[in-house]
Amino acid sequence: MSEHLSAQTIESYADGELAAGRVRETEEHLRECAMCAGKLVAQLQLKRSIREAAWTLPPKNILRPRRQWPAYAALAAAAVLAIVVLIPRPNNELADLHTTILASANPVDVISTDRHTVKPWFEGKLPFSFPIPEFNGTPFHLAGGRVVYVHEQPVAYLMVMKGAHRISLFVGRDVPAPRIDAFESIAWTKNGLRYVAIGDVARADLDGLRVCFRD
Amino acid sequence: MTFEELAMPLFASLYNYARWLTGEPGEAEDLVQETYLKALRGFASFREGTNFRAWMFRILRNTFLTSRTGLRATAMQPIEDDDQFVAEGDPETIFLHHADAQLLRQAILDLPLEFREVLLLADVENMSYREISEAMSIPVGTVTSRLTRARAKVRRNLQEKR
Repeated sequence: MSEHLSAQTIESYADGELAAGRVRETEEHLRECAMCAGKLVAQLQLKRSIREAAWTLPPKNILRPRRQWPAYAALAAAAVLAIVVLIPRPNNELADLHTTILASANPVDVISTDRHTVKPWFEGKLPFSFPIPEFNGTPFHLAGGRVVYVHEQPVAYLMVMKGAHRISLFVGRDVPAPRIDAFESIAWTKNGLRYVAIGDVARADLDGLRVCFRD
Repeated sequence: MTFEELAMPLFASLYNYARWLTGEPGEAEDLVQETYLKALRGFASFREGTNFRAWMFRILRNTFLTSRTGLRATAMQPIEDDDQFVAEGDPETIFLHHADAQLLRQAILDLPLEFREVLLLADVENMSYREISEAMSIPVGTVTSRLTRARAKVRRNLQEKR
């Protein structure tokens, strides 16, 4: 086996900044060496935890003038305000919920891998119902569920695992499509219900999850 | 692309960054407003082909650094020498869990300003080292070493608290 990777190499690789010529040898070593692979995982985990812990949503009314502005800025301020009125702010509400729930000590209220437990639990808690598919034979499994509120409307929340990755699936009548940089997400509509899946997984995994819900 | 098309998608990111610089919502709002005003006025001088996101972040941090809070922050925290860094703490010795978010936020706050900045730009904004170097007007090598040190400090901080 080749020599162990330096801390700097692991860090650059995790940041996607390793020189192109060194990527191949690095990946070869990572495949063979559990220790370096472990360090890489820890590095990626730190990155992700920082990203999740360090994100704060802006308040809704942020661009109204707060203080007396210098005269030269008055026109520009008016222009900025006009821009803000015309352009909807990106919606990060679901990404925030996803992060908050994952960070919570009790992320789900009904803890079960069995859809026959989770589905009845939602009854009476939601003004709609939706099928939960059988995940046996798929790469996914159910971890549990809870009810969350989005725009003051109850929305079903399912936590679905893909290996060790947690995917948040929101199901409701009016779930806003997220605009997210930090996670992958997809949204689809079925039987008048909106489904939004968010997770730190590959796009193809989310597409796979959607397929599970189609039948 | 117009100013609006380029600038508005950066809004939430700039606000988040401003929060971490100022540590205070009201001041962060002022800072973002002022940044947009300055950027709007200076847009004519922005050269196509250069990195707009880095340009906006640079305006924001320059505005912050010349504000009262910014001057106080930099006066209190002299930049540490970048050259004498020895890597410390193995990454594998610490595995973070989601429940540590509060500790982690405190550890980020405890970082000297320049270290906090590179960490946020790299891990929250997913900027490349090159972009960070443009946003902070520092060489790429300095970005790399500050980033390594910032992460080592965060890890050590978390280890001490558990």
